[in-house]
Amino acid sequence: MRLQGVIRYHRARDTEEALSLLAGYEGAGHMVAGGIDVARFPRTDIEGLIDVTACVPSGVEMSEQGALHIGAASTLTELIESDPVRRYGGGILPEVLQDFSAPPLRNMATLGGAIVSAHPWADVPTLLVALGARLQWTDGTEHGAPLEEVYGGPFRNTFQRAVLTGVKLPPFLGGFAFCKLRRSAADVAMLNAVCGIGLEGGRVQWARVALGATPARGQRLAWLEESLVGESVREELWQEAGREVSGKLDMGSDRRASAQWRRSAAGPLVARTLAHAAQRAGQ
Amino acid sequence: MKIQFELNGTTHYVDIDAGESLLNLVRRLGALSARSGCEVGDCGSCTVLLDGRPVRGCITFAAKAQGRVVTTVEGLGTMDDLHPLQQAFLDTGAVQCGYCTPGMILVAYELLTKEEDPTAEQIRDALAGNLCRCTGYRKIVDAVQLAARRKAEGLWR
Repeated sequence: MRLQGVIRYHRARDTEEALSLLAGYEGAGHMVAGGIDVARFPRTDIEGLIDVTACVPSGVEMSEQGALHIGAASTLTELIESDPVRRYGGGILPEVLQDFSAPPLRNMATLGGAIVSAHPWADVPTLLVALGARLQWTDGTEHGAPLEEVYGGPFRNTFQRAVLTGVKLPPFLGGFAFCKLRRSAADVAMLNAVCGIGLEGGRVQWARVALGATPARGQRLAWLEESLVGESVREELWQEAGREVSGKLDMGSDRRASAQWRRSAAGPLVARTLAHAAQRAGQ
Repeated sequence: MKIQFELNGTTHYVDIDAGESLLNLVRRLGALSARSGCEVGDCGSCTVLLDGRPVRGCITFAAKAQGRVVTTVEGLGTMDDLHPLQQAFLDTGAVQCGYCTPGMILVAYELLTKEEDPTAEQIRDALAGNLCRCTGYRKIVDAVQLAARRKAEGLWR
């Protein structure tokens, strides 16, 4: 592999330098951390690569309340092997991240890269949206916003002029589960879902439902979450939630699956994921 | 641009292209065990160790090697003095055409530095991204388990 057209590879010492270098390329610069995404999906319009690995934090901190603060340059392997990450949310992060390709790619891929790449079929955006992740970034000024809002806005424009520095995840007491439909074990999702359930006295205290690869990027189903809160836990509740999803959600077709297939599969997928999350919450 | 890095115990100070891959670089320097396969990071034939961790050489920028240690199979054993892991692959018939074998061995090498006695499932998980079109995978799993036993017996350098 030789990325055609690339003239310079810079190692930015700090985010200020990274932003300055990026601005100098007037649209022909590209920030990399692990760099595998731009190598796998090469573009011909890149002249300068700006490596931000040295100036973006990596590592994980867990607060006393159980919130996580993850440096955006953390590799997926570092996260999978991190004790705080394993303890968080019943281990939902390692469960999803271990499904990201093979170990050699996880050794290079960073959480920040997975967020900024934001492939619609990817599992990480669905996971982080379900968890209510909040991003931190700088474009010379420090910014912070929920991932869901960032994805809902012109986020590609945002990160063409900014460096993602960190991800905050709120504490949860409950269970999470992840399910994915695909053609083969190594394939990307035709649909993916991450659900979380908190229980109190046999009733749903809180719920998180995110569905991705629809074929749009993962998004939270807030209307469904609200409808579940306060309900007594029973198998029929999850089945009904699944029927709501199949009936209400717009699905699209792409080369992986038709809209019709997605409509019929999304309901059972969400029902199964909710049931699994509730089972974990009750343990 | 110039980078300095260690390849199989030798320090190199070399010119690289900004968009060059690590696979291209190590092959230029004579480490031909790392091979070009799919060129998109899926098949694993280009695997090298970067600071002891397996990475896909074909989709890792050569610039990433700056100041780091890169290992290929040439750094483990020689034709006259095979590494016990290489020997285990031969002894179990886990090699046919051999194109994928260096990648398999490097991934297995890293696994055995972390896990003394890996289960077949752990081995399959570790090798999930390394494709072999000749042997099937059973003998490869057998080879890694044999190497683990030999390591436990002290037959590992």
